[in-house]
Order: sequence, then C-alpha cells, then structure tokens
Amino acid sequence: MSMLSVRDLGVAFGSIHPLSGVSFSVDRGQTIGIVGESGSGKSLTAMSVMGLLPLIGGRITDGNIEFDGQDLTNLPETAYRKLRGGRIGLITQNPMTSLDPLKKIGPQVDAVAILHLEMTPKEARARTEDILETLRIPEPALICDRYPHQMSGGMKQRIVIAMALAADPDVLIADEPTTALDVTVQAQIIRLLDDLVKERDLALVLITHDMSVVAQTCDKVVVMYAGRALEFGTVETIFDAPQHPYTQALIGCIPRGGDGTAKLDGIPGTVPTVMNYPKGCPFHPRCTRAQEICTTTQPEFTSYGDSAAACHFAGVAP
Amino acid sequence: MSNLLEVRNLSKQFSAPGGPFRKARSMHAVNGVSFDLPKGRVIGVVGESGCGKSTLARLILRLVEPSGGAVTFAGEDLLAKSASQMRALRAEMQMVFQDPYSSIDPRYTVARAVIEPFEVQGRKPDGSAKAEVEKLLEMVGLDAGLASSFPHQISGGQKQRVGIARALALRPSLLVLDEPTASLDVSVQAQIIGLLEQLRDDLGLTYLFISHDLSLVKYFCDEILVMYLGRVVEALPETNAPARHPYTKTLMDSTFEPDPKLRRLIAPLEGEVPSPFDLPPGCAFAERCEYATDICRVETPALNETGGHPVACHNPL
Ligand SMILES: Nc1ncnc2c1ncn2[C@@H]1O[C@H](COP(=O)(O)OP(=O)(O)OP(=O)(O)O)[C@@H](O)[C@H]1O
Ligand SMILES: Nc1ncnc2c1ncn2[C@@H]1O[C@H](COP(=O)(O)OP(=O)(O)O)[C@@H](O)[C@H]1O
Ligand code: SF4
Ligand SMILES: [Mg+2]
Ligand SMILES: [Mg+2]
Repeated sequence: MSMLSVRDLGVAFGSIHPLSGVSFSVDRGQTIGIVGESGSGKSLTAMSVMGLLPLIGGRITDGNIEFDGQDLTNLPETAYRKLRGGRIGLITQNPMTSLDPLKKIGPQVDAVAILHLEMTPKEARARTEDILETLRIPEPALICDRYPHQMSGGMKQRIVIAMALAADPDVLIADEPTTALDVTVQAQIIRLLDDLVKERDLALVLITHDMSVVAQTCDKVVVMYAGRALEFGTVETIFDAPQHPYTQALIGCIPRGGDGTAKLDGIPGTVPTVMNYPKGCPFHPRCTRAQEICTTTQPEFTSYGDSAAACHFAGVAP
Repeated sequence: MSNLLEVRNLSKQFSAPGGPFRKARSMHAVNGVSFDLPKGRVIGVVGESGCGKSTLARLILRLVEPSGGAVTFAGEDLLAKSASQMRALRAEMQMVFQDPYSSIDPRYTVARAVIEPFEVQGRKPDGSAKAEVEKLLEMVGLDAGLASSFPHQISGGQKQRVGIARALALRPSLLVLDEPTASLDVSVQAQIIGLLEQLRDDLGLTYLFISHDLSLVKYFCDEILVMYLGRVVEALPETNAPARHPYTKTLMDSTFEPDPKLRRLIAPLEGEVPSPFDLPPGCAFAERCEYATDICRVETPALNETGGHPVACHNPL
C-alpha cells in the first residue's frame, strides 16, 4: 500500500476551480516529482495534502487523499495539526515561511521534537544536534545559537529540512525547495534529500518546475498543466517515451548544451491562469496536434504500461 | 575578425558606509575582468548570485563608473567619453534586463515604451512613429494590436519581447542581455531564445549573454566566461570545452541533464561562499576546493593559458 495517495483531487475557492483530476501515489523510499510551469497547480496540490486549504479559503470538492491508510480528505484542523510538521513534513521555496526570525535556530528545531515526539528540551536538543550533523551542517552546537538572518539561503533551507526531519516524518512534501538557491547549493540539497529518502525510507513528493531536477532525482513523475495532471509514469518513460504532446513539448524546451545540434523549440502562446483555463483539453490552444474534439471534450487517461496520458491522441502515431 | 568590444582589467569597488559600531568596508564586485568580444559572436557570462555579472554588464555600458580598467567599443575608448558622447554611443550598445519594465514607466503603453529610446536620444525614427512601432513589434514577433496595451495587460514573455524591441529601436550592434529569461516559464524562455537567435542571424548582432544557468549558456553561446566572486576564473573557448578550474567543474557537476540515464553523482561541497567584504587571501575558492594546496591560500592566481585555455588556478585540472 502506498504511503500517500491522492485520487482525482479537485479544489475550489468559491466558484473558481483551480485544480481538478490530480492523482498520484508514493511509497516509502520513493521520490515522486510533480512538475509543471507556473500556475499549473503544484503548490495547491501541496497545500491540499497538508490540509492547509481551509486556512486560505479553499476546499476539496472532489477525490480523496489517503495517508498510510488514513483518509485525510476533510480531516478536521485539530487532527491535521498533529500530522502536519509531524508525520507529514513540508519544505517550501522560501525558508523564512517556516523559520521565526526572532528565535535562535536551536530552540526552533527543538520545539518540533518536544511537540510531536514529547521529548524533554534536553533530549530534543541532543536530537537537533544529531540531525544537523546528518545534514552536514558544520558545528551544530554553534549553529543552534545563531539566528536565521546570520545564515545563507542554503543553510536556512537545511535548517528547514532539519525541522521537518525532527518529528521523524514518513512523508516529506518539498515545494520548489531549491528554486531560490544557487545551482551548487541546489545540488547539495538535492543530494541530501536523496540520501534521506534512502536512509530513512521516506516518501518524498518533490515539486519543481525544473525537468532536469526531476530527471536527476525522481522515480515517478506527474506532469501538471492548468490545474490538471496531464501525464504520469516512471521517470524513464516520461523522458524516453512521453505520450502527451505537452510533455513532449516541455522536454523540447529544455536547453541542452554543447554540440549545437538540438534546437530549442518553445511552445507558442502562454501558460494559462485559473481565469482563462481552456475548455476541453487544457493544452489545446498551444498543441500542434489539436483537433476539434480537443476544444470541447476533456480527454480521459489512456494507459500504456505503468504510465498514462490524458490526450485524445495518446498512443496514436502523429 | 575584429573585436567589437574589448574589456581590460575592469574593476568596480563598492563600499558599505561605517556606523557607530562598524568600520566602513569595501569589496570588489568586479575585479580585473578582461576579455574580447569579436563582432557577431555570443559570449556567455555564467556564475552564481552576487558574483558580479550584472555589475560587469553595467560597467561595460558605463551605467556604473568603473574603479579601474578600460572598455573599448568599436575602437572607441568609452571611459574617455563625455556624458553626451556616451549617450550617442549608447545607441550602438543596448541592454536587456531580466524584468524589462523595471526601467520603464508602468503607465507607458507598449508603443510609448518601444519608441522612448528615440526621445531619450532627441531623435526621430526614419518613418512615422506609428510605422516604427509596428516595425519594431514585428521584429520581435508581437502583434501590432498590442501597441496600446499597458504592461499589466500583457504576459511576462510579451513584456520581454517589448524589452527587446526597445533595445533594438536605435539599431544597436551590441546587446548586453542580463538574465533575459530568468523570470519566464521554460516554454516561453525557449520562444525568447529562439527570437534572439533569429535576430542575431538577421541583424548581425553581437551579444554578451548573462545567466546563472549553465545549460542555457552552453546552448546559446559560442564562448563562456565563468565568474566567481568578482573574477573571471575560466574562459571556455567553446561550450563543450572541459572544465580546467575546480569551481567550473563544481558548477558543471551541479548542473543536471534532462535525462534520467545521465544522473550525476553529487559530491559533497564543503564550506560556504565567503563574504565579498571579507575575502581570504589567495584564491577565493580555496576554502572549498579539493585540489587546494598551500600556495592557493596565499597567492591569487591570475588567468593563465599554460597547458590549455585560460584559467585562474594554481592547480588546473
Ligand atoms: N550599487 C551597489 N552598491 C554596493 N554593492 C553592490 C552594488 N551593486 C552590486 N553590489 C554588490 O556587488 C556584488 C555583485 O553584484 P551583482 O548584482 O553584479 O551580482 P550578479 O552576479 O548579477 O548576481 P545575481 O545572479 O543575483 O543577479 C554583490 O555582492 C552585490 O551585493
Ligand atoms: N488562494 C487562491 N485562490 C484562487 N486561486 C488560486 C489560489 N492560489 C492559487 N490559485 C490559482 O491556482 C492556480 C495554481 O496555482 P499554484 O498551485 O500556486 O501553481 P504552481 O505552484 O504550480 O505555480 C493558479 O492559476 C493560481 O492563480
Ligand atoms: S587555485 Fe587552488 S584553490 Fe583555487 S581553485 Fe585552483 S586549486 Fe583550488
Ligand atoms: Mg508554486
Ligand atoms: Mg544580476
């Protein structure tokens, strides 16, 4: 059974429906990538799993979220509070959304184990220093005595990861955890997350707009666009034999350096926002294969092996 | 091939004023940068945040006054020019920014933004202003119907096209592009890169292309300068030249391929980037470099071509 599974998730804010038909699952020791351009619904998916929608005025209208056999859909806030930052950890793009600028690092990380694992402050501090050390943070005792503003962006992100790990989570949701970081720092954080998945048998949901990060780290991939999942599958199939025209086009947009043979294609038009999500297949206005049916009818998923694409012409030769 | 741009030993020092509890401090944002940009070529400048890329761009266009060094553009010594001579020369060398409307009044329509460079120069376009706007919009693949739109009514990619149209208005020969696609989605980035390629071919433009994205620079450029803390540490004469500087190697190893079969082994990198206000003596990368020897912590290596392309390292790979 999967550690986390999301089935046919739909989300609404009032009469606006920014998310629909999102499904994925992830096991222990596995990394799933949720990839998409801006506004594709990645963060809303993360917020849904974390039970944060009610706090921003949204609600789940369709589907369900299951964590380790427990149905989380519409779980009351009091129950969610125990899970959030406990068995389900969240890492966001901006570490300062998780850190208190006025508190020293040590007490902030300690608080997690005190709350979720009912440790004494002394036990918690020992654990904090252990975790900082596994995250290759030099001189943990010294760092515990620092404030967030005294640290680089990469170091702050490591502290946020430490806070997520302090409660010994089963699932980590990382929403663009390296987007704000320099590439060398990004590589270090990716390496850390990779090691954690393997060593602690975590299930990692890695949200990113960067296909190369996905290729480097993920076992499975969901490709999102305009609030929908358009294709999912193993990382190998997604890159070697993508079936959805959007996935194919997205891969064609990645600059590959060097020999000057690969031409960058680009996709005409722009990424839609929730105010102008297209009818039918959301990709149809930009799709080179679009036919009449694509403008009117939302395509179902067509499976091929352990992957599937929501395109009327998936698996049909162009 | 003649050089359109020659940069020699260009430097810029910034100082942070002191306060009651702190001494005034200074740092080199750009430190002794030299390179030649031949006409029609594209040189990329790559490096991480704060390494001095944007400052270098501004120094070259003299939007910031250098602390030292020389810039020669089309045979003219830029630093010897008066403000009015400089303004005239700037018609020939233009900059495209990451956020194109950051330097344009948000109340300007697209048409006004695109035609403004003529006003700044006190010049008139050859035909009517309206015809010129249409011509420029067409050059960058924008519908003429957008001319009366305001920036908040158009997408990020369209804004960047406006930024490029504006830069092209005075028909420059050099474009300095400072992260022109950094805030765009990849599908739109690819469109803009395609447009820049086409403009280079059609108009014979020369580019200095600044980016933190090594894959993009490798794709788009002919040569690459790698910067670290204000200095050029390596000049790659072609995009697939192997790294000779340990920092360049780190940068390459940190850049992932869009192919799960080409996963990288990410080696742990010790330490942090030192503060530019407090650089250790010797090579700025020494603290983090696995090849560092004693001399690295004492003597700053200069760019050196012994044994291959230029690299500033005592122990090149
Ligand atoms: N006007 C200024 N006054 C003082 N310091 C400055 C000024 N402009 C830039 N700096 C400093 O100079 C260094 C280089 O900055 P620069 O903006 O050139 O970096 P960059 O490589 O373009 O970085 P990024 O990738 O973040 O755009 C930084 O440490 C920056 O803080
Ligand atoms: N609180 C909200 N209310 C209404 N619409 C929202 C809200 N948050 C996000 N959206 C919309 O939902 C879509 C998906 O957003 P998001 O999940 O943030 O995308 P991503 O993280 O992939 O960039 C966007 O069109 C966005 O404008
Ligand atoms: S000069 Fe020395 S310290 Fe600097 S990069 Fe080369 S080997 Fe490393
Ligand atoms: Mg997001
Ligand atoms: Mg910059």
